[in-house]
Amino acid sequence: MREALEAKLGPISSVHLVAGGASKEAWAVDLADGTELLVRRASVGVIHKDTLTLEQEFRVLQAAVDAGVAAPRPVQYLGDVGGHEAFAMERVGGETIGRRIVRDPPAALPVQLAEQLARIHSIEPLDFLPRGNAIARFYAELDSVGEPHPAIEYGLVWVRDRLAEPEATTFCHGDFRVGNFAVDTDGLVSVLDWEFAHVGDPVGDVAWPIVRAWRFGADERRLGGLGEVEPYLERYNELTGRGITLDELDVWEVFGNVKWAIGCLTQCRRHLNGQDRSVEYAVLGRMAAEMEYELLDLIAHA
Amino acid sequence: MPDRPDASELIEAVIEFLAGEVLPTADDQRLKFRTLVAMNALGIASRELASGSEPQSLERLTDMAARIRAGESADLPALKEHVAAKLRISNPAYLEKYE
Repeated sequence: MREALEAKLGPISSVHLVAGGASKEAWAVDLADGTELLVRRASVGVIHKDTLTLEQEFRVLQAAVDAGVAAPRPVQYLGDVGGHEAFAMERVGGETIGRRIVRDPPAALPVQLAEQLARIHSIEPLDFLPRGNAIARFYAELDSVGEPHPAIEYGLVWVRDRLAEPEATTFCHGDFRVGNFAVDTDGLVSVLDWEFAHVGDPVGDVAWPIVRAWRFGADERRLGGLGEVEPYLERYNELTGRGITLDELDVWEVFGNVKWAIGCLTQCRRHLNGQDRSVEYAVLGRMAAEMEYELLDLIAHA
Repeated sequence: MPDRPDASELIEAVIEFLAGEVLPTADDQRLKFRTLVAMNALGIASRELASGSEPQSLERLTDMAARIRAGESADLPALKEHVAAKLRISNPAYLEKYE
């Protein structure tokens, strides 16, 4: 790895693996001149069909930084590194572990997130980004699992009755939630993990951090275990001129639970079908029931 | 009747091994996390073995799912109970927050 990277980046003083996702790896790389980089590399030949290639992710990061979003600055697309596609970006500081962030969240964070999201939604959609009807896509994903889930079906019907035609023209981050934010004591440092960027309905992004799974146990604070939703929503609406209502967020919160329940099931299949064997993926199959219960409970109280 | 330890006791032995010997010596955050995930997986398997109740049949669930998708009304409390039964095996603590 070191030799392959030095061929592209020049002399390196240290390199070590910091995160080895089943499909993507992250390497902390220090160049001899003191520059601190993070190298994202594919760890399997075939990337999950609904995520971007690393070349596309590199271009998305560039577009985000150009739009003034606090995202890691892309440094160099590296192409093939030791048989797998990779790129280098700025290594940002801050805490990313959800459980630690919600323990004592910075007060400014909810409004900062609204400001970042407003900027993200102003990015010109790139031509290679996936787009299309979100409800149809998740029906197709659920069918690909090949296991009956009446609770998810119930959630999808409830959502499809209330979202006749989701808007599909806005650049969306696709995974905007605690766990994908680098945070320090002053608040937001950087918005990370852009591999699910797509063109879709912006309300999907606005509601995603509200989903219970992303509160990391701090359920009394509806916005990602960080704070109340209202100041975040108000700031977002103020900056974008959109009039997203709390009622709309309620519908998209149910949809968010549907999406993450299906996400757990599809990721688990990567273990079951032998594509990416991993105990983490395996248990996700049994975690889907948590989102099923939450969505039924939300609907019961709607 | 298998010789002892039976399946549940074997799972328990592995959980104790992971908790007592692997977790305290793992200095890598990722290995620590994955050890906890593995212990959780064994906990699920252990509760599944211990639960006497039969899960709903594939046939019945497939039929229910198809009816709901077709737009037929469904019994929400019954659906919640079906999911609660799954959670009592996969994550009983999760349900407590709804009480």
